[in-house]
Amino acid sequence: MTIPIEWYLILSSALFIIGAAGVLLRRNLFIILFSIELMMNAVNINLVGFSRFHENLTGQNFVLFTMAVAAAEAAVGLAIVTALYRNKNTLMIDLFNTMKG
Amino acid sequence: MVEKILFIVFGALAIVGALATITRKNIFHGLISLIFTFINVALIYLLTQAYFLAVAQILVYAGAIFVLFTFVVMFLNLSEFREMEQYYPWQKYLVVILTPLALAEFIAVVVSATWLSTRQGITPELLESMGGNTWGMGVTLFENMLLPFEVASLILVAAMIGAVIMARKEKSPSVAIRTWVSGEEPQPDALEQEV
Repeated sequence: MTIPIEWYLILSSALFIIGAAGVLLRRNLFIILFSIELMMNAVNINLVGFSRFHENLTGQNFVLFTMAVAAAEAAVGLAIVTALYRNKNTLMIDLFNTMKG
Repeated sequence: MVEKILFIVFGALAIVGALATITRKNIFHGLISLIFTFINVALIYLLTQAYFLAVAQILVYAGAIFVLFTFVVMFLNLSEFREMEQYYPWQKYLVVILTPLALAEFIAVVVSATWLSTRQGITPELLESMGGNTWGMGVTLFENMLLPFEVASLILVAAMIGAVIMARKEKSPSVAIRTWVSGEEPQPDALEQEV
């Protein structure tokens, strides 16, 4: 009575699409960072599901690396948020257009 | 059967939490919904016999990253912060139309494809014969993926240094060390008075 692999794939694609929609819909830098974390989690669900399906624990190892990268990304992203808020006094990404060509 | 019902329940709760994350106006409400999603994902890992990852997920995401985000949200004092209208309103409608389409495409492909494996899939009995989930993960990690494991530590160090440098306050002229033209240095007792 195991869970079919399709269910993992559908759940992970739903979470990934929600994260992508969040990046495109919201103009707040924090919500965009949250959405990126959501998308990383969706990928992790895929890896764990296939790791079980193929009876191979390398997929679960890869999730550990994704977690390390997610932690690094959160730290750097929050540092950028802090620097931007200090300089511009806002977090609306549409206002950060100084490098627009 | 119980496994499948639990998967549906946790998956639905994860999706509800994700939707709440991207729709709430208040950043804190979004953050708490995000943590709710992460905890549900951890429960799905438990159902998948990935016990170590379930604990790591709660420790890293619901613990470390949540505290980091909360700290910065409070640190920046966003109480008077209001989300403005979008600069490009058509972007919103485009997203609402296109993302369900993309999701439908994903689901159509996943359902219509045939998934085959030469193995039976991991079961609790199989994990028992391997010596447990954590043991098996450790063996594969240190036998096959030792170099990526070491490189991950380098990534963490680089991210730490980058974060510290980027978030550091820039030096303003008022805190620079004072210098005097030679011959005009103040007397020590005058300096003491100033202090």
